[in-house]
Amino acid sequence: MAHIPLTPLGSPVDQALDPKTFARQAASVAERELTLAERRKKVSEGWGTKYADRVHAKNKLTSRERIARLADEGTEVFEVGTFVNHGVSFGKLASPAAGVVTAFVKISERWTMVIANDNTVASGSWWPQTPEKIERAQEMAKRLGIPAVYLVDCSGLFLPEQARSFPGRTGAGHIFKKNAELSAAGVPQIAGVFGDCIAGGGYMPIISDRVFMTEQAYMVIAGAALIKGAKSQKLSSLDIGGPEVHVHQSGCADVRLPDDETALQAIREEVAKLPSSGAEYHRHGMEASAPFHDAAELTGLLPADHRVTYKIEEVLARLVDRSMFWEVLPDRGQEIIVGIGRVNGLYMGFAANRGGLIDDAEVRGAQKPGGILYREGIAKLTTFRRSCEDDGIPMVWLQDVSGFDIGVEAERVGLLGYGSSLIYANSTAKAPMFTVLLRKASGAGYYAMAGMPYEPVVQLSTTLTRLAVMEGRTLAIAAFNTKLDDEFEIAVEDPEEAAAIEAGMKATEERIEADMDPYSAASQMDTDEIVRLDELRAWIELFAETSYQSNTTRRTKNPRIWSLHDLAALTEPHR
Amino acid sequence: MFRRLFIANRGEVAVRVARAARSLGISPICAVSEADRLAPWALAMDEVVCLGPGNPERSYLRAEATVQAALQTGCAAVHPGWGFLAENARFAALCQQHGLTFIGPSPALIDSMGLKWPSKQAARAAGLTLIPGSEGLLRDVDEAIQVAARVGYPVMVKADAGGGGRGMRHCSNEEELRQGFAQASAEATAAFGNGDLFLEKCLENGRHIEVQILGDRWGNVLHLFERECSIQRKHQKLIEESPSPALNNQQRQDLGRAAAQAAAAMNYVGAGTIEFLMDAKTGSLHFMEMNTRLQVEHGISECVTGIDIVREQIRVSAGEKLETQQADVSLQGHAIECRINAEDPNHDFRPTPGKLTQFEIPDNLGPGTVRVDTHVQQGDTIPPHYDSLMAKIIAHGKDRPEALETMRRALDGLQIEGVTSTTPLHQAVLISDEFQSGTYNTGSLPGWTPKR
Repeated sequence: MAHIPLTPLGSPVDQALDPKTFARQAASVAERELTLAERRKKVSEGWGTKYADRVHAKNKLTSRERIARLADEGTEVFEVGTFVNHGVSFGKLASPAAGVVTAFVKISERWTMVIANDNTVASGSWWPQTPEKIERAQEMAKRLGIPAVYLVDCSGLFLPEQARSFPGRTGAGHIFKKNAELSAAGVPQIAGVFGDCIAGGGYMPIISDRVFMTEQAYMVIAGAALIKGAKSQKLSSLDIGGPEVHVHQSGCADVRLPDDETALQAIREEVAKLPSSGAEYHRHGMEASAPFHDAAELTGLLPADHRVTYKIEEVLARLVDRSMFWEVLPDRGQEIIVGIGRVNGLYMGFAANRGGLIDDAEVRGAQKPGGILYREGIAKLTTFRRSCEDDGIPMVWLQDVSGFDIGVEAERVGLLGYGSSLIYANSTAKAPMFTVLLRKASGAGYYAMAGMPYEPVVQLSTTLTRLAVMEGRTLAIAAFNTKLDDEFEIAVEDPEEAAAIEAGMKATEERIEADMDPYSAASQMDTDEIVRLDELRAWIELFAETSYQSNTTRRTKNPRIWSLHDLAALTEPHR
Repeated sequence: MFRRLFIANRGEVAVRVARAARSLGISPICAVSEADRLAPWALAMDEVVCLGPGNPERSYLRAEATVQAALQTGCAAVHPGWGFLAENARFAALCQQHGLTFIGPSPALIDSMGLKWPSKQAARAAGLTLIPGSEGLLRDVDEAIQVAARVGYPVMVKADAGGGGRGMRHCSNEEELRQGFAQASAEATAAFGNGDLFLEKCLENGRHIEVQILGDRWGNVLHLFERECSIQRKHQKLIEESPSPALNNQQRQDLGRAAAQAAAAMNYVGAGTIEFLMDAKTGSLHFMEMNTRLQVEHGISECVTGIDIVREQIRVSAGEKLETQQADVSLQGHAIECRINAEDPNHDFRPTPGKLTQFEIPDNLGPGTVRVDTHVQQGDTIPPHYDSLMAKIIAHGKDRPEALETMRRALDGLQIEGVTSTTPLHQAVLISDEFQSGTYNTGSLPGWTPKR
């Protein structure tokens, strides 16, 4: 049977959880999400209204204003890398969003990746990690095959920090290599040049297919300040590299336009010439529908205390259309749930951890803790991943994992091997995959379930995410092991020594706790974005739409001939 | 054409669908509950599948069991009838996902017509006039008061997700509106999980006029003229007639055309009904809502146009084109329907299930023709779990007077014993001045006062 047998999943929120617990959990999350909102707002202000005013005084728009005008009316903009360089100081200066805005923007009905230098932060120059952030965005565009739109307004490197942004393998020059890679992969690139574009800024637009310049824009390898004789000849950078030169003489730009607004309009029209989205073709006759159980309820369904479990089915139900899901291989490896759901009518694969107690397959009637990975769960993930790869189904990984099973049995059974098989599958797969760190993202579990080192197209964290090699308590146990007994209690007679050990363990835990802060991870680009729980569904819709937009860059089997059907046929119980 | 059709319903509509199916050479298989398993109408189906006990929650409303039953009996399509799962978008999506053709519109259309405000937006975009009121959902009670001041009292606050009269309040002034707003929202949240409200001017003593629509997936849409359903009790229809005595020919043509255009704009496939409220003062017709299912009173439209609506429903679901063109649809005579329910009209219409010791409906007394749609016969037991409809009597005459006389004779000759029926009410309404003159409205049941 080649139907995709989605069936209803989840229950109404008052049956899923008692209202008091829901309210308490929602309040806890709301508090963290308030912090998130405040920090996002701070980043979006750039270096402040004074700088925005300067931009306006020149009759120009700020980069965020440009993005707002590019976006189709009524659509949301999905920013990534908002918190890169969060909490990092360069002397007395900060670089909010690393001085560049990178976001998924819907332009003329097509999803694009917009990369816009923030002209309110050091004239859009590049800080340490700015190149890496731009390259990450370019990589997302390349993997999905969606157009990249550059809004260039960039005075080059932030010179005091040049040693950390110029020379390296991922330094500024690599941006242009990625330009070349995108072009070679057939990904459309469109550039709007809006201001002073010097050195690196001058190079940014050139490889793009279409380059628009405003009258105030110039592109130069070096500015007038470094050109001998420029002063006496009264030559400005605009004279040397403005639209007069590059549109008409050098051919390095294509179209000159009077101002920001017109340039943005022209970019919108240019995007409209590109092929329309393939997503409609891949909806297979089913229109987009919201989850039957409200996605906004996710705010109260996850406990902030990572030791408290919840029903992953209720989370999944609020991420898929009409809360309908086809769970594949339900009877094996119950610590993992894998299956297919529709998102805006488009088929997506999902893999998630199941917490709480699960049936122990080896010992009839017994149970064991979920939330970690055992042999069958890992094998299930690998098999499902391979099927999705074979069938061209984009995958979403929902992580809430403490790690692998450990101990005598785990080693004897060879979890190292099973885990490596999964890593191989994830490392060699081409079909898009996206990772969401719902809560815990620990150690080998984080790796196995397609964490950032395995290069998902996008990785999201929530305000509850705890990302580290292990939980603080585990690390403390490992560090002070010689002083602990079989049950990991302090086994030392001398009270002073015991107190010192306790203090030491506590300090270790606190350090890890600080490491696990999602904003630290985001600052270092170990995760792409921190999102609210009630934004998750919208992000997954974005993943679906962008995965299916470009028809030509990857294989997509029609659902009738998915290898998943063979798998189901062989694993479903006989009637 | 489908070979086997699963009917996810019971009683009178199941019988109706089975008849249409057989006319197309399709074998009807029916869902039944334990209470219905041995009913003569069930035994007349080609096959039945028992889904569970009498309580509909445990039988007819079980979406996944219904799909499983349809698949196991080799059916290609599912007809949901009316009520139960008929306007359940998730059930429609479930059928689609499992390869069953759902006889009805797409899940997305069921969704949008299922919420009051989105359906109004769609209707307005398609050119229909709305009842004056709020522009979408109300932000708060202050906005409600602003809107009410603009359109004038009395007003109705209504729940967007509402139905069956719940989540609604009639408000004659600002103070009542303040109270009513809070109450309606709370009631709606409790009943439907959604407390969103909008506001409409209350068109008192209006007339409920609805247009039957048929659409196929090739873009052809037909209207089968209008039905008047103003004889209601607590929003439950009791007597319907087609055409409506309230409209002249020009209004009739205009309304039908507007409704058909609206359905075409929505790419409507299947049978549906667009309901309008006629303002008593101005005579203008305002969109109320659209029902994306077959309606109980569809039979009167069939009588006056000669079109088999259920048969067309099945045909368009199989991808066929509508058999008739609009130009060939014309009104032949006049039809009136009375819903004979097993209820006691003298005791607040309390349902009175029981054994039908006598059940005879004469259909040959003239002067016009009588069509009886029923699933029961003498000796049957009316089970308690379901709506109390026993039979629909449709009288078709060459004009309204003839139809009235035909109905009068049929009702007079009716013999029902063992349960109480609503026949006395129908008889009283029919001879009332307002009904005879065709000047009745939704404000009251003309001619009827309970005996106690």
